[in-house]
Amino acid sequence: MNQDAPRLITLDEWDRRHADLTRAGLKEPWYGGPLGRHVADGDFRLRSLRYDNSPAALRLWNFLLTEEERLARARKEGQVLIGTMKDLGTVPVMAYAAPRLTAFYPDGAWWIPCVMELSAGLLQVADSVGIDETFCPVRAMVGAFLTEAHFPIPDMLTCSVGATCDDFSAIAQRLAGLGHPIFWWEMPSRRHPEKGEEAVDLPGGFTAPAGQVAFVRSEMERLRAALEERAGESLEDAALAAGIAAANRVRRTLSELRRLAYTADPCSMPALEMLIAEMLAIHYCSDRDESIAVLEDLLDTVRTRVDSGTGVLPSGAARIFWINPVADLRAMNLLEEAGGRICGTDYLFTHALDEIPEDLPPLEAMARTALADPMAGPAADRAARISADIAAFGAEGLIISRIPGASHCATEGDVIRERVMERHDIPIIEIEVPPLSDSIQATLRTRIEALVETVQERRRK
Amino acid sequence: MIRAGIDAGSRAIKIVLFDTDSRAVIASGMRDQGVAQDDLARGLLDELLEEKGIGREKLASVVATGYGRNIIEFADRTVTEITCHARGVCHVAAGSRTIVEIGGQDSKVVRLDGYGAVQDFNMNDRCAAGTGRFLEVVAVRLGLRLDDLGELAGRSADPAAISSMCVVFAETEIIGLLASGIPAEDIVAGVQNSIATRVAAMVGRKVEEPVVFTGGVALVPGMSAALERVLKRPLTVAPRPQYTGALGAALADG
Repeated sequence: MNQDAPRLITLDEWDRRHADLTRAGLKEPWYGGPLGRHVADGDFRLRSLRYDNSPAALRLWNFLLTEEERLARARKEGQVLIGTMKDLGTVPVMAYAAPRLTAFYPDGAWWIPCVMELSAGLLQVADSVGIDETFCPVRAMVGAFLTEAHFPIPDMLTCSVGATCDDFSAIAQRLAGLGHPIFWWEMPSRRHPEKGEEAVDLPGGFTAPAGQVAFVRSEMERLRAALEERAGESLEDAALAAGIAAANRVRRTLSELRRLAYTADPCSMPALEMLIAEMLAIHYCSDRDESIAVLEDLLDTVRTRVDSGTGVLPSGAARIFWINPVADLRAMNLLEEAGGRICGTDYLFTHALDEIPEDLPPLEAMARTALADPMAGPAADRAARISADIAAFGAEGLIISRIPGASHCATEGDVIRERVMERHDIPIIEIEVPPLSDSIQATLRTRIEALVETVQERRRK
Repeated sequence: MIRAGIDAGSRAIKIVLFDTDSRAVIASGMRDQGVAQDDLARGLLDELLEEKGIGREKLASVVATGYGRNIIEFADRTVTEITCHARGVCHVAAGSRTIVEIGGQDSKVVRLDGYGAVQDFNMNDRCAAGTGRFLEVVAVRLGLRLDDLGELAGRSADPAAISSMCVVFAETEIIGLLASGIPAEDIVAGVQNSIATRVAAMVGRKVEEPVVFTGGVALVPGMSAALERVLKRPLTVAPRPQYTGALGAALADG
């Protein structure tokens, strides 16, 4: 067998392949190495996953799984660490405009219970301070702060509140109460302009009243001042514009990656790696420039595969649009094992995939992009965008993945389902994926397999 | 040509042997579910084959479905219950547009197009409230056999209102109803209504007729009537509804 031919492999296979590639002269960045070494750190879930076998995917995984080391290095080098919470892709664009600041998302701790198969006990720690299972798994973040075992305590914390997730606000408030001061900034509930009200176009095809955009811009001004104070230098418009340009490089690369990976047949990059790649648009994994390099590497791999007509899945896999990120990464493998593939996504941060306008004053551009957050507006707006993407990507089925305890998703599923049923004649399933789904995997598999079978039967008819 | 369909359900393993030439079921059997599902299914299949004097080598295919389908190692392939119930119902009740299936562990609603192809489906979500399990719980609590529940419910003149949407809480509620002197028949009828209401929520507003009721719970007297009341539509109980999934599995390859 040609070991370089695209395919899905296990962790053990990756480690053997890594040894082969190293002997053959593979060059890796400082965070490179065999994936299996992360299991020794407690990342037990890695043993249950299936991976893309490209060196670019290896780099992506190693980049993701070494964020803790990267943050420790940044602190040691005197960087100011900014913990940005909830906004999903806004504050880091501004923070990385200042060379002394390194931003990261403590929210990312929501995957620790999955990756470490609950061994870190973060959910129990959250329970112990009253943030129980009625909240979204992002409550693991509270456990990470209290144990101080997964990231350095940031020098500054920011959090968007208002028309964002009420679960998250409650969790962050508890965190503040536990002695972690937070710079709160407000996100209004985006609404459609009323008759006679000045309207502003936002990325993603949304519109908002000019007054709301002005308000968010004023919040961006407050954020800028707070970041300047921490950085010890002013954040001039030119620096912010450079930060926006760099963010757009990430977003453009991702946009092309998504276009190719989600449309090419056979599928050129698995669902799991694409989920991790999309997440880089939000958090840069604490290194913006390296995340650009990681994504460009991935894009090169996908281009090569598309040009050669190769892929990781059999041709003709059922084309499934996936809504919301999963708490258990294994769920993405399940789709492919059932004969499906991802052909489009909305992981709750589409505003972080849209390019930020570069022809506007930077804070105006940031305000418009932040206001395009799918969670900040009516569920119907999000459903309309999803509906348009389903048509654009040619989806044959839809999976709405609920996040247990996440109240935001609970209200939206029906709205999205209704909209998609009205406009597209495709089967839809709703699933709920907990951080560790092993006990319900048979049920999940049945639903996903049934969706794939339905798509295949429709094709035959 | 003989094809075998195995439905490894949560309560029982059902097997159907289907003759593709005569388009008829030539044998069927059921066995209570157990730990060694593969052995149980193998034993039942061998019994049916022996009964009919058919050698194992004569089987054109063995398809497994049901929640235990992946455990049936000797199956040639697996197909989900959704697809199998659709195939099975289309064979016994051609032209059906909506299938309501209530099994021991889950319940599902399948919408079919005019050609019998699955258009969409809905399943209960990690909850026993709309399944046969609810009936089992109430049977144990009332000290009755599952088979007797339907007849008992038929005597009810005033079904109890079961407000809990969770079997665990509903069991507590049933204890309270018993303590307050509510007759057992009213409690059982109330549970049947509760299951029907739960399933009706999955059906949604757009119900296309004809509606067919299948799965083991369709055999419980009173359940069909409870569903008809809630859905406000007539429904037909599939012939031998406990075998519909296995029949669909046998039909899956042909």
